[in-house]
Amino acid sequence: MRGSNVLGIARIALLWLAAIFVLFPMVWIALNSFKTSGQMNDPLLLSFKPTLANWENVISSGILAAAGRSAITASVTVAISVVVGSMGAYAIATFRAGGQLTRFGILASQVLPPAVLVFPFLTMAYALRVNDTLVPVIFAHLTFVLPVVTWFLIGFFEAVPRSLEEQARVDGFTRFQAFRLVVLPQVYPGIGAAAIFGFTLSWNDMFYGLILAPGKAAILPVAIAGFNTFRGVELGSMSAAILIAVVPVTIASFFIQRRFVQGISGGAVKF
Amino acid sequence: MLAPLLAVLAVAVGFPLVYAIYLSVTDYRLTDQGAPNFVGAQNFIDAFANGAFWNSFLTTGTYVVVSVGLELLIGLAIALSLQKQKWFRDATRAFLLAPMFITPIAVGLTFRFLLNDQIGAIPAILDTFGISYNFFGPGKALFTLALIDVWQWTPFMVLLLLAGLESIPKPPLEAAKVDGASAWYRFRRIVLPMLSPILVVAILLRALDALRVFEYVFATTRGGPGTETQTLQYFMYQTGIQFFRLASASAMAFIVLLVVLGLVVLTFRRIERSKA
Repeated sequence: MRGSNVLGIARIALLWLAAIFVLFPMVWIALNSFKTSGQMNDPLLLSFKPTLANWENVISSGILAAAGRSAITASVTVAISVVVGSMGAYAIATFRAGGQLTRFGILASQVLPPAVLVFPFLTMAYALRVNDTLVPVIFAHLTFVLPVVTWFLIGFFEAVPRSLEEQARVDGFTRFQAFRLVVLPQVYPGIGAAAIFGFTLSWNDMFYGLILAPGKAAILPVAIAGFNTFRGVELGSMSAAILIAVVPVTIASFFIQRRFVQGISGGAVKF
Repeated sequence: MLAPLLAVLAVAVGFPLVYAIYLSVTDYRLTDQGAPNFVGAQNFIDAFANGAFWNSFLTTGTYVVVSVGLELLIGLAIALSLQKQKWFRDATRAFLLAPMFITPIAVGLTFRFLLNDQIGAIPAILDTFGISYNFFGPGKALFTLALIDVWQWTPFMVLLLLAGLESIPKPPLEAAKVDGASAWYRFRRIVLPMLSPILVVAILLRALDALRVFEYVFATTRGGPGTETQTLQYFMYQTGIQFFRLASASAMAFIVLLVVLGLVVLTFRRIERSKA
């Protein structure tokens, strides 16, 4: 019994340590966003008269619109990826379509350095007159979100017992009905997880946005990076900009997380 | 059912890829007006002879091994701890998973100032203990970058491993417990083998993603000190976008692609063989 007590204490200590590690940088940035540049020279200053100048500065720079564009880009990318990816993953897992080659192809597109694809995208965007809009960014994000979502789902589809589907076919379901009504609900937890991951991938990417939509359609990471180079380093305003990027997704991640845990335990096949 | 996937991939990946292959055998520069000239394999030959290119290979490799290795160990420990959590389960999880939802450029910039030796909080705290450590100094900057990666991406490891842990069937564990197997034995002989498929996926996804590290370098060191933190992605960005040598950057990117693909194939071969 004593052994398990020691483990229990270590477990709680580890979680507290992890929590402090996660929280510390964000608290520090939050404090900085209310400091004047003079107060910032004392990094450990805890009590000071807060200023809202940094926040006013950031809001007037249009960062909220950039956040909205990031959300649209990520949502569209994920919606396409989940629909197309789950069908593809099912085909690969069930019929061994294309064998190992398809799997490697999917992984290969994940390995592709974005520096390779970005220039052809830029030329195409100019040719179709959609440069500096979200369209090329969404296409570019599909190149890495779709393969990852598909790859992620193959394992989940493979975990579904074949007998379930065969039974559904015996009961008179068509192949597509069996997929949609029997197999798909089994992998909802996987699809949820894949969608969350795909969203964060798209939301987080700066590289494509920086080159394909640097101007009026700048997405959030580009807008934040712009704050860094604009008039040198304005640490206070940048801290506020970082918080604007961080707070909504942290709150969103809380709800997504609940759904993820629910989904993971909600499968029809009980272990 | 595979058709929609292949169609989207062909448009979004296939066409730009073919275009990029075409670029890699020309002398195209971003500043060119007319049509580029065909130069054959010259860009590839130049890349092979380029010491800085191979150096960035080594830099990136070190970065990937250090960061993903640490993420795996810490992630597994946290996932095991979280699995046994009874109070505030969802809140703890959501909180600890938060870093992976933050855009890397924000994380990079945060740590750039957090670790700055004049205005950063961490050096100031270390200073009160009489420790002076320059996080972005020679020989240290790359490991600092890897630590930033660990801060942001350990949660991803936790998320996947936790999902894996919770899908492990209970009966074998309970049977082993009844038979008197120790916690360590149960972990090593039951949990770990059952976790191995998701472990492989987690390591692979993290490693492939860590290979593309760009934002942290862009936000903090810009490749310095010297060329110590010049990762592949940053090196190719510099060659292609800053120095306008798009054709040579494309050639380099294809060499990277082939090397990494080779490694992935080798890994899979070994996994398949160990299964048989």
